[in-house]
Amino acid sequence: MTDRQQPPFEDDRDERISRARFLKGAAGAAGGLGLVPLLSGFGDTAFAATTGSSASPRRGGTLRVGYVGGGTAETISPTLAVTPIDEGRVQSIFDPLVLLNADLSRSPGLALEWNPNKSATEYEVKLRPGVTFHNGKPLDAADVIYSIRMMAKPTSAALPFVSGINLHELKVVNKTTLRIPLKFPDADLAANFVYYNTWIVQNGETNFAHPVGTGPFKFGSFTPGQQSIFTRNHNYWGHGGPYVDALKIVSISDPTARLNALLSGQIDAMAQLSYAQAKAHQATGDVNVLVAHAPQVLMFYMDTTKPPFNDNRVRLAMKLIADRPALIQDAISGFGTVGNDIVGKGLAFYDNSIPQRTQDIAKAKSLLKAAGKEGLKVVLQTSDVIPGFVESATLLAQQAAAAGVTIKLQQVPASSYFNPSLQYLKMPFAETQWPPSSLKFFYLQALASNAPYNETHWHSSSFNSLLFKAIGELNHAKAQSYWNQVQQIQWQQGGYLSWTNADFVDALAKKVNGLKPSAAGILGNHRFQDAWLAA
Amino acid sequence: MIAPAELRLPRRGVPHVLTFLGGRLLGGVAALLAASVLIFAGVEVLPGSPASAVLGRNASPAAVRILTHRMRLDRPAYVRYSDWLAGFVHGSLGDSAVALAQGTTHAPIWPLISGSLKNSAILAAIAALLMIPFSLGLGALAAVRAGRPTDHLISLGSLAGVSVPEFVIGSLLVALFFVGLHLLPPVAIVPPGADPLSHPKQLVLPVLTLLFASLAGGIRMVRAGTFEVLQMEYVQAARLNGLSERRVLLRYALRNALAPSVQVLAQNLQYLVGGVIVVEAVFAYPGIGSQLVNAVQVRDVTVVQSVAMLIAVVYVLINLFADLIVILLVPKLREPA
Repeated sequence: MTDRQQPPFEDDRDERISRARFLKGAAGAAGGLGLVPLLSGFGDTAFAATTGSSASPRRGGTLRVGYVGGGTAETISPTLAVTPIDEGRVQSIFDPLVLLNADLSRSPGLALEWNPNKSATEYEVKLRPGVTFHNGKPLDAADVIYSIRMMAKPTSAALPFVSGINLHELKVVNKTTLRIPLKFPDADLAANFVYYNTWIVQNGETNFAHPVGTGPFKFGSFTPGQQSIFTRNHNYWGHGGPYVDALKIVSISDPTARLNALLSGQIDAMAQLSYAQAKAHQATGDVNVLVAHAPQVLMFYMDTTKPPFNDNRVRLAMKLIADRPALIQDAISGFGTVGNDIVGKGLAFYDNSIPQRTQDIAKAKSLLKAAGKEGLKVVLQTSDVIPGFVESATLLAQQAAAAGVTIKLQQVPASSYFNPSLQYLKMPFAETQWPPSSLKFFYLQALASNAPYNETHWHSSSFNSLLFKAIGELNHAKAQSYWNQVQQIQWQQGGYLSWTNADFVDALAKKVNGLKPSAAGILGNHRFQDAWLAA
Repeated sequence: MIAPAELRLPRRGVPHVLTFLGGRLLGGVAALLAASVLIFAGVEVLPGSPASAVLGRNASPAAVRILTHRMRLDRPAYVRYSDWLAGFVHGSLGDSAVALAQGTTHAPIWPLISGSLKNSAILAAIAALLMIPFSLGLGALAAVRAGRPTDHLISLGSLAGVSVPEFVIGSLLVALFFVGLHLLPPVAIVPPGADPLSHPKQLVLPVLTLLFASLAGGIRMVRAGTFEVLQMEYVQAARLNGLSERRVLLRYALRNALAPSVQVLAQNLQYLVGGVIVVEAVFAYPGIGSQLVNAVQVRDVTVVQSVAMLIAVVYVLINLFADLIVILLVPKLREPA
């Protein structure tokens, strides 16, 4: 599942980047001008952690954070960053043009205004004045243009976010204003600049040996696969933090070792607690378990062009067979919210009016009967590549038996499952995970007519033109109505059975305060500038 | 009469040792060549192609094409194999495949792994230094006390050690010394560039785990060897001549029991090298094992190749060293055939 956004129109580039990279990619992002309020489904985001007292933040100390290591693949370059540990580093040194908040709403980052022309084919972007890089150089429009060009390089993970930009026509208007011309109308360009692959570097930065950013922490040292050290940026433009003097990011790949390091006080925070660990330590209360409802969706998908799934009655029957609450309870220990076969709960333009689909074995049976598919036998290809996949596949097979459907499971090696030159996109019935950052990006990546990761092999020209109308519509109400139509089509006819939006689950030592659960990313979206250590 | 014999002995004796060692050396080189072919072939037969494997989710046709060229996979396999082997012999391990996939043009592997290699060597050396005297001492003790409670205790303990895998031993030790007693840290996070020996407390549990896992086999073999020797006629004769049991054991029995034990200890040393991989993962110790596990996870095939080959070299070196020790211990091998 990679995700290069096949540029919707012209452009013949053929470089792809990982979907994993852009996973929760362009999250958030509402209006171009002021920030349109989002219909966040996560307003009630669970504060499972008793995050500290209400005491005022205390300055000082070193915050040590353990992540899953990436060995030699670890990097500090925003456009090459792939894994959460890279993300944590990038978000400490650099800043985004647009900030994604914990409830998926947005605030101005390095950019204060996004002003589109009438056809939404060109934007004038005004930057925040008075921001300086760690070396004292003031941020200006040339830095942003340089960063955008870096995002467009073939090996860049940010490619899907900038492939709609006309790179040759990027223009500096004055020190703090630039002009971004587009290849097709996009009413919400700001949505493209929240994800960590699109964070802003200094004009001329090439090898990131001594990276200089505008972010809350300055670069100290970096040893891939082991640790990196950062120091507090005293001149940070943001409010409040950073409160700690130093930040140390440690690679610990083994989940038990990572938790042991936290329990023994060798680190203060750990990313990605396993579900079993989370259950156990919620009970003992010796660490604060940080749980955030997030839009990272786990789905089964069916190839809409291959029998038996080319018959929509069969697809609908499969969606009615699933007992979603049971799947969530048993496959991911209850750490998720119920999915409704469309993607992006909590994000702008998500259609909350569509009724929640629930298990209905009788209806599934009658649909299968009408389709002449009673006693259906299908093969479901699964893999242990993502926690919950094999478990949910096993459970779905059990649930299907009630409707007379036999699901035979087939395990695919983890290394092949999402490799497009091996198994990926060749499986008629399989599983996937998307952490979408905006509806726009998920639909361009997975469901547009030339989408690079078209898992359901969805091809419909009327759907496609509706999708681009939704993307290009500046009037918010009109855009919402187009988006609702797009989602209703998918809910009725699509090949996705999304059973959950899985939570982010991390853990903090008792003395860590200020980090709040965030739907935008793990560990409170890595906002270590908000963290402080109790005495 | 005597003189010619005395002259003859060294002349024919030395070449004998040399042939023995030479044979072992050749055998070692052959084993390494075989290992190198297997390691190289292992990467070649990855599903798709090595370039596709490295790219994983990003393996679009264009990306595979570019990386195939960068990794020089477009040349015939035998050319790449001989280049790789020649590079290895000259100490150049090539470039990290993942770094190449990220667009770096020059990313030598050696600087990436040399620090980890040193850390692992320190861990394994401490474990080995403790393992050898403990194996010999406890093994001999059990043999001398054969059938008595001391023997039963040692034998039972070592039997348990043989049957339980390192990660279980590691977890049990963490449960005991960290969760239970709060005495020792459960992970060994050594900062990059720092000397692991300056964090002695963190090393205790990894070393203990390695020690338990490798000690057991050694103890059992030393016990069996010593027990057997103690039943021999010449040992009985020494006893009948009124020599003290201590002198019989140290001067007569142990020395001869040692030769077979050396081979076992060598095997245990090799086992240590493998055990280090698991133990490092359990304790998050920044050594070559963690490096290997990470490289496998991110599918950095060239790093995996290099580390696997280095481990093969260490195995062969330990074997040769053990052979040398055996020659020093067993006079018969130094005599003419």
